[in-house]
Amino acid sequence: MPDDAGRIALLEEHASAALISDSLPLRANLSVLENVAIVLQYRQNLHYDRAADLAWTLLGRFDQTGCAFKRDPDLDSNERFIARLARALILPQPIILIERPGLLLPDCHYPSFLEATLAAVEDLYEQCWIVDYPWNEPLYAPR
Amino acid sequence: MTSDSPTDFFTRFGASLLVWLKSWRAVSRFTAVAIVEALSPSTYNSATRSVVLKQIYFTAWQILPRFTLFSALLSYVLIQIVVDTARNFGLADYALEGVIRLLVLEVLPLMTALFVALRSGAATGTEVVLMNIHNEIRAMEESGIDPLRFELIPRVIGGVISVLALTAVTSALALLFAYFVVYGLQYWNLPDFARVMAHIFDLPALAILWAKVLAFGLAVTVIPITEALAAPQKLFFAPIAVLRGMVRLFFVLMLIEVLSLALKYI
Repeated sequence: MPDDAGRIALLEEHASAALISDSLPLRANLSVLENVAIVLQYRQNLHYDRAADLAWTLLGRFDQTGCAFKRDPDLDSNERFIARLARALILPQPIILIERPGLLLPDCHYPSFLEATLAAVEDLYEQCWIVDYPWNEPLYAPR
Repeated sequence: MTSDSPTDFFTRFGASLLVWLKSWRAVSRFTAVAIVEALSPSTYNSATRSVVLKQIYFTAWQILPRFTLFSALLSYVLIQIVVDTARNFGLADYALEGVIRLLVLEVLPLMTALFVALRSGAATGTEVVLMNIHNEIRAMEESGIDPLRFELIPRVIGGVISVLALTAVTSALALLFAYFVVYGLQYWNLPDFARVMAHIFDLPALAILWAKVLAFGLAVTVIPITEALAAPQKLFFAPIAVLRGMVRLFFVLMLIEVLSLALKYI
């Protein structure tokens, strides 16, 4: 990816992919659990209890049920990332795009964190693309 | 120092007129969409129902005890004033009709709408403008959730139901107080009371009352939301959008009230 214009063009080209990006925040007045469950409630008309159970199970796969009842301002960057990923993956996706992980996970060694997190849910997506600047390419192992 | 030429003046006037007309077009369009969506069964799913319920809870249920108490007190004081004044002028026979027309048809619906506007209209406007600024609306779209159907229309539905419900509760209380103040603590004047009620609440009066309260309910949510959505995605525009929404809402509520008065009495 040559520059920022390239990144934007790539995102536009794959507009139907599930995007995890700093520009797509959680709903601030909903808890993490509600943010994830609402996708099932809205798209599959599931009752809240059933949708929340599924959301809880997914958060459990990331070992992050501790943040289920927190709202966005109370989350640390790792929890916020997991919440956004869970929202994107609560319905299985063919492609997920993680845009600029360094912006989403500023306080941890994010390549290894991403590797472990994505491995926990690899049955929920077919491809995961990490959209980052070319100078960060050495950070990622080929998947 | 230079003074503006007439051309500059008319250019500026035309530009501001266009902005004004565009914002009213947005309000009208959103109102029409809200009415159509509210009447469409496909709007209602598990997610939207939960937002409607939350909106009713925060707009009507949470404030019900205090608002009922306040409106009961206000109704009692106004009924006493009108009834005593009517008696002093030898118009006691008209006191009941006068007080019910004043309270149930005019004061209580307007007061309820103003109260809901101040409490929930401002909060809704602020929340929607912040959602818009923080890109939460686009984030919902990316998750396959239609923000109009999930976040905005349910608030309008909840707002309308809340205004209707609060108006009904306060009006029922006012009727009760009016009966007891005029006739005292006894029940054998119920037929007289029913006759006066039938005289006041004829079909046109009921139709106008329903239309007015529905219009109030729509206005208290639609106007703040439309202004919030029209604001640029910059944080410093948030207070401006809320302020504009509230000022426009006040004028619309007054306009609805004046129109209903004109329809009834002119």
